[in-house]
Formats: sequence, C-alpha cells, structure tokens
Amino acid sequence: MSIIIENVNKHFSGFHALQDVNLTIPTGELVALLGPSGCGKTSLLRIIAGLEQPDSGSIRFNGEDTTRRHVRERGVGFVFQPYALFHHMTVFDNVAFGLTVRPRAERPSRGEIADRVHDLLKLVQLEFVADRYPSQLSGGQRQRIALARALAVEPKVLLLDEPFGALDANVRKDLRRWLRRLHDEIHVTSVFVTHDQEEAMEVSSRVVVMSKGRVEQVGTPDEVYGAPATEFVSRFLGSVNLFKGRIHDGWAHIGDVRAPLPHDADTQAGAAVAHLRPHEVSIADSPEGAIAAGCVRGILSIGPMVRIEIERDGEENGLVEVEMVRERYLRSPLALGQKVFIKPRNLRVFASGAG
Amino acid sequence: MNTTTSPTLNEPAWFRRLLIGAGLAFLGLFLALPLAAVLTEALRQGVGAYLVALQEPVALAAIKLTLIAAGIAVPLNLIFGVTAAWAIAKFEFRGKSLLITLIDLPFSVSPVIAGLIYVLIFGAQGWFGQYLFENDIKVIFAVPGIVLATVFVTFPFVARELIPVMEEQGTAEEEAALTLGASGWQTFWRVTLPNIKWGLLYGVILCNARAMGEFGAVSVVSGHIRGETNTLPLHVEILYNEYNFVAAFACASLLALLALVTLAAKSFVEWRGQAQRALAPIALPAVQPST
Amino acid sequence: MATLALRRRSVIPGFGITIGFTLLYLSLIILIPLSATFIKSTQLGWGGFWTTVTAPRVVASYKLSFGASFLAAAINLVFGMLVAWVLVRYRFPGRRLIDALVDLPFALPTAVAGIALTAIYAPNGWLGQYLEPLGIKVAFTPTGVLVALIFIGLPFVVRTVQPVLQELKPELEEAAASLGASRRQTIFRVLMPSLWPALLTGFALAFARALGEYGSVIFIAGNMPMVSEITPLLIITKLEQYDYAGATAIAVAMLVISFLLLLIINLLQWWGRHRHQ
Repeated sequence: MSIIIENVNKHFSGFHALQDVNLTIPTGELVALLGPSGCGKTSLLRIIAGLEQPDSGSIRFNGEDTTRRHVRERGVGFVFQPYALFHHMTVFDNVAFGLTVRPRAERPSRGEIADRVHDLLKLVQLEFVADRYPSQLSGGQRQRIALARALAVEPKVLLLDEPFGALDANVRKDLRRWLRRLHDEIHVTSVFVTHDQEEAMEVSSRVVVMSKGRVEQVGTPDEVYGAPATEFVSRFLGSVNLFKGRIHDGWAHIGDVRAPLPHDADTQAGAAVAHLRPHEVSIADSPEGAIAAGCVRGILSIGPMVRIEIERDGEENGLVEVEMVRERYLRSPLALGQKVFIKPRNLRVFASGAG
Repeated sequence: MNTTTSPTLNEPAWFRRLLIGAGLAFLGLFLALPLAAVLTEALRQGVGAYLVALQEPVALAAIKLTLIAAGIAVPLNLIFGVTAAWAIAKFEFRGKSLLITLIDLPFSVSPVIAGLIYVLIFGAQGWFGQYLFENDIKVIFAVPGIVLATVFVTFPFVARELIPVMEEQGTAEEEAALTLGASGWQTFWRVTLPNIKWGLLYGVILCNARAMGEFGAVSVVSGHIRGETNTLPLHVEILYNEYNFVAAFACASLLALLALVTLAAKSFVEWRGQAQRALAPIALPAVQPST
Repeated sequence: MATLALRRRSVIPGFGITIGFTLLYLSLIILIPLSATFIKSTQLGWGGFWTTVTAPRVVASYKLSFGASFLAAAINLVFGMLVAWVLVRYRFPGRRLIDALVDLPFALPTAVAGIALTAIYAPNGWLGQYLEPLGIKVAFTPTGVLVALIFIGLPFVVRTVQPVLQELKPELEEAAASLGASRRQTIFRVLMPSLWPALLTGFALAFARALGEYGSVIFIAGNMPMVSEITPLLIITKLEQYDYAGATAIAVAMLVISFLLLLIINLLQWWGRHRHQ
C-alpha cells in the first residue's frame, strides 16, 4: 500500500502547522518522519491516519483518495505515544478489541479471534502476559502490546507516534532493532514519527526530515546524512562546525579553500557558510588548504574516540570540535595550546540567507 | 460549538445540541428555577415590603445569631482542619484511613441526628442535664447548643480540603526549611501556609456557607425562641409556617445571596488556586492514602 | 486508638500535638456524642427497640425515605452523567457559569431550597398551577419529596464523574476508532468501564445525603403520616413528644444504615483505584 500526500496544508488556530507538504511513501517501506518538536510531523501522521483533516490537499492510499474517509474505515493501525491501552481490559482483550467491534457479519468466530490474538502475542514475544492488565506491564511490554493491538486488524498502513519516546535507553535500543526485524517479517507500509535522528537512521529505510511545517529532504539515512539538501538538515542530523565565507566568481571562498557551490545557490556574490562535521576535520601544522587556524584548548578522551577542541584565531568562543579515533590521535598527539590548522576532508557549502 | 477532542471523535452536531439542551433543561428546572422563585417571591410586594421585612428586630436578631454561630464554628473547625491535615498529611502512622473516615463521619449523619446527640447529652433528661440545671447553665434551647450543632455539621470541611492538598505537597519543602535552620513554627507559617492558602480558603468558604445555612441540626437544639434562639434559616421556617411569605422569602433571599457569593468566591479561589493544584470538589470523600 | 501512635520517625515536628488535638476534638465533638445514641437506645431493651423501629408508621417512613432517595439518586445518576459529559466535552456560551451553578445545592441553605421548591410546585405555584389540571400533584405528596431529594443530590454525580472524564485521554477514543470501533462501541466498551466507579460513588453519595435530608423536604412533603413522612422528621416528632428513647432508637437504625453506606462508598473508591492493577 503506497501513500501519496499531495499539497497538504493544516492550520491550528492561526499557526501554519503544515505547508504544502508533498510526499510519496512506497509500498512496504519503513519511513521515519524526523524533525524537532513543533515541525508538524505528528500532525502529518495524524492526517495520514484520518485523526485530523487537512485544510487542503489530499491523501491517497494506493492511488485511491482517502482524505475524507473516517479513521474507522481507513484501515490504518495507529500506535499512540502514551500507548493508549484500555486499562480496564486484559492484554488479550486489548489485542482482540479491533476484531470484536466488527459488525457481526464480518466478525471472526471466538476461536479465530483467540488464535489471531495468540499469534500476535507470539509475534511480539509476549504470549505469557495475555491475562494481565496494562498496569501490570513494563513500558516496553506496553509498547509491544500497543503494536500487537494495532496489527490485529491487519492494517494496510502502520503508523507509530514517537514509538520509543517514553522508554529508557536500553529498552529503546532493543525495541528499535526488534521493530526493524518485525518490519522485515511483515512488510506492512509503516510510518513513524521521531525527534531522535539516531533512531530515525537506525530503524527506517527512508527518512523524511521536516522543519517548520515543510519537508526539507527525503532520502535514505545515508543520503540525508551524507548529502544534506539544506542547512537545516545538515545541522539537525549531527553536530557541525560552521565556517563563514564569501561567494565570488561562482565559487565559495572559505579561508584558503575554494569550494564548489550548491546547484541552486545564487552564484554571483554574497555570504556562504560551510559545514564540517567533527570527524571530517584534519589537523595540520601547515597553512596550505586550511580554512582556519587556532590553538588546542581541550583534549578529551571519550572511549574509542578522542575529541579535540580548537579555539579559532580571532574568534573568541569560536570553538571547533574535532573527533578522531583513538589510534589515529595517538599517531600524532597534540599538546594543549599548540598552534594548528584546520583542513576539511568533506566540506558542504550553503549560500547563507543573510546575503 | 467546539469540542475539546479531535474532530473525528465528535458526535453529530444535532446530537450534541440535544445533549446540551437536555442537560441545560435539567439544570434550569432544578437549579435556576428555585433560585428565581426565591428572588421573585421576596419582591412580590415591592422593594418597600422587602426592606421592612429585613428590618424587623426579630430578623435582625436571627441574622446576628447566625453570624455568631458561624463566627465560632468556622474558626474552631479551621484550627482543627489545619491540625488534622498536618498530622495526616505529613506523617505516616497506622490507622490513618480509619481516622480520615471518622473525620468524614458527620457528612454521613443526618443533621437531625446531629442535633439529637447533643440533646441526649445536654438536654433536661441527658447525661449532664441534672448538673447543668443545678448550675443554671443552658446549652440546649440556647446559643451553646446551636454552636455545637453547627460545629458538628461543618466539622469535616476544612480538614478534607486540606488533607489532599498537603499530601500532594509532600514533606520536601518543610524538610528543606528545617535544614536551613527554621523552627517548626517558622516552617509552618513561611513554607506550609503559603502553599495551602487557596485550599484553606476554599475549605473556609464552604464551611461558612454550611454553618450559616444549617437547618436540621440547629432546628433540633434551638427551641425556636423568637429573637433569641432562631438562626436565619429557622426564622425563615417560622415566617413561612405563619404564611408570612414575603418576609419568609425576603430572609430566604439573603441566604440565597450568601449561596451565590459562596459560589462566586469558590470559583474565584478555584481559578486562583489552579496554578497550585485542582481543588477537591466539595462534599466528596477526601482522597485517602493509597495502600 | 493506641495504634495511632505508631509512626515512622520524621524530622518534621508537631506530630504529637497535632494528632493529640485531632483525636481529642474528634472525640469530644463527634465520637462521644454519637456514642450517646447507642447507649441511650439500650434503655429500651432489645424488644422495645425492635418494636419502635418496626412500628408501621416508622416502616412507612423507611419505605418513603429509601424509595425516594434511591429514585432521586438514580435520576441524578443519569442526568449527572449527562451534565458532566456536556460540561467536559462541549463548549457553549455560559458553560463556566453553569459549571459554577452546579454546586448551588451545596451552597443554598436547605430551608431556602425547601420553600422555593414548594413555591414552584404547590397547586397554585409557578409550575404547580399547570400540573394541577393535568392531575399531577407534586407538592405535599411523595413526588414532592422526590423533587427535593433530586435537588439535594444533584451535584454529587456531576462532581465525581467530571474529573474522571476530564482525565480520560483522547488517545483512548482515537485508538478505539482507529481499530474500527463505532462511536457507540467506543462509549460503551471504552469510556463507560472507566467511569463506573465514579458513577457509583456519586450515586451512593447522593443516596446517603438524601436519606438524612430534612430541611428541604419538610416544606414540600406535606408530612402526612404513612404517606409523605420521612424518617428524620419522625425523629423530630418523637423528640417533640419527649419520647427521647423512641427518637434515639430510630436514629440508631438510621446511623447503622448510614455507616453501611459509608463503608460501601469507601469500598467503591478503593475499587476505583485498585481494579486492573
């Protein structure tokens, strides 16, 4: 089941939550909607589910327009952020709920329902909690039961709102891996919302980065990280060091370096900004090909990595972070206060709006 | 007409209007109509007759007695409420649930019985009847009896309002004050009291409304001596039974006004206290510590 | 009460004095006077007690008090749920005012309520004059008692259900809808089970309050023996005849019933907190 979102707009009391969102989610994919809070990702998910109506635009499932279809008939499985398990029902009754509310003619027999529920509980590896109440489960178990309940109605689309949000770090890690494996097994088109870039990269096959109600970039985890389309995406997906420069003669000039401009940039003149991730920095002792100079202010050993903080000349508080694996650092160790030059191994240039 | 939940969960508009209409009709019939009846009947023969009725010496005496009874009962129960809430909310001890239930007891006792018990103790045939008679002390059919009955029926109001407020606040702030060198009294006045002031005020408002409006319990111990042992609600009854309807409703309108002021004050306190915490609704069992 | 003294050590001062004062005041004002009724009722002996509390006029008053209280609480159960739903779920002009007005029966002195309701429902009253030709008599009949008790118990169900309804997360209903449940199924299978403890608690509170109610009822009831005489009024009647023992016997019967109700209310509250855990 593919999902096509066309020109969707949504306002909440004067606030433009979604602005002309266009997005195609191919059948069977596991897609992450990634962005900071307030970027509109949850609104988009709820619109796909039919829990909210867009002000304009359409949602199509497999080419069929479902924009006006009630959530009841839309055939989506929705996993809510605080799980929304029915606390007065046992786990079994929770999972069976979607089947038992069907009109009598479509309702499976009692035995069929029991079989289906037990299959699902086996799938989420929680067969032994069937008779317990939600309040007797751990957070991770509730999460998996919420998922089993959503899957019980055999949804064409599975939607998850911050599925790992309320769990502690260890459980979260396990569940991420588990969700990816589960998706490989059942292959239902799935969309989940997250604000955690690591989670999006680790679980999804495709990441949709959103900001301020717009889609900034869609791509595989590798694409959005390696080739961010906008400054926002670059900054949101990991820490970056910023270097200011100028655009001149169709090139960006940053320090001693001349870098090609992005395709869509104004090539005439103006300001540019270059992004350099901590692990993309080389430290040199000669100024050729360097974009900045500075002196070493901090050397922190963080497990397998060493982080070096360099204060740039002429810029107070202008710390540049450099990360390298321990072995590489040990080959050419540095001293505090040592004068060094910063060379980029991979520089991404964005025309900066300031002009 | 908007709703609080997402649009997919709405009932159809006509059904919503039907429910709202039915709810309002019920409240109109049982709340608004009686209120309107009191005010209208009081002014049936014009403002002049209304004011004359209120200036009767007997009416003024009744108002005075009502103020005296409330003026004694409310502070007593205020002190009790704070003390009991302190013991219950700040300490753990066995029998706490039982104690809370006992404090709530007067709400489950018919006001008539509340009056009766003091007659049994202080009345002519009561436990202390002989002693009181010999020493010429009047409790029943006199002001002390009225005060006692009022104290009984308003007993739980402040305590049950404060216990959940103080329980929610826990003991961390008091402990912090103590580590900073504050004495017990300083801790109470400067840390605890500011934290509970809205809950306290809420309890006092409700306690006062009940104290001034109590009828059944006071009726039993009053003896209905005009100008001496009649509170305002009892005075209303006497006037009504004498078919002096305008005067009866005039006095009743004062009490209705008191009720409206109470509701307004209560709403104000709820609004101000909202930042601190939601206040427990009146006359519902106090939240008991979960076991 | 000796067990009360067992407590965890605490740095916070004042336990001894506050618990001491609490117990003293509670005993003086509530416990000792209440125990007087039980002691007094023993004067009659078991036989006399039983005869008093089962006299036909007294039994008729139980029937009226219990029947009318139960019916009033049941009516308040339905309309209280409705009002709570409307106040929590819908927005309409005047909602906050009406929300505040719901507590009127708590704030309005019962005698005032009594004469106001009588003025409305008496045969020549505001509504009574239209009901009379239809053959409906409200004031001075058991129906009048019912009307007064509905008024008195009105806020209880609203105020117990309202906070529970407010706390219910919209996600629960959204989850039910996304699983294909109709609105009806959502209400009856998801919402109502969460509301039952609150509804029953409100019902029991309204019932208990109605049983003991005196002020609002006596004006509208007509107080005819065997027909529209409530039990609390019988206590007063006996007192006025200086039949203290008789009055006390009926009071004890009522107290026992009240304590049972209190126990049930506490159990309901406990159930509401602890089921499904």
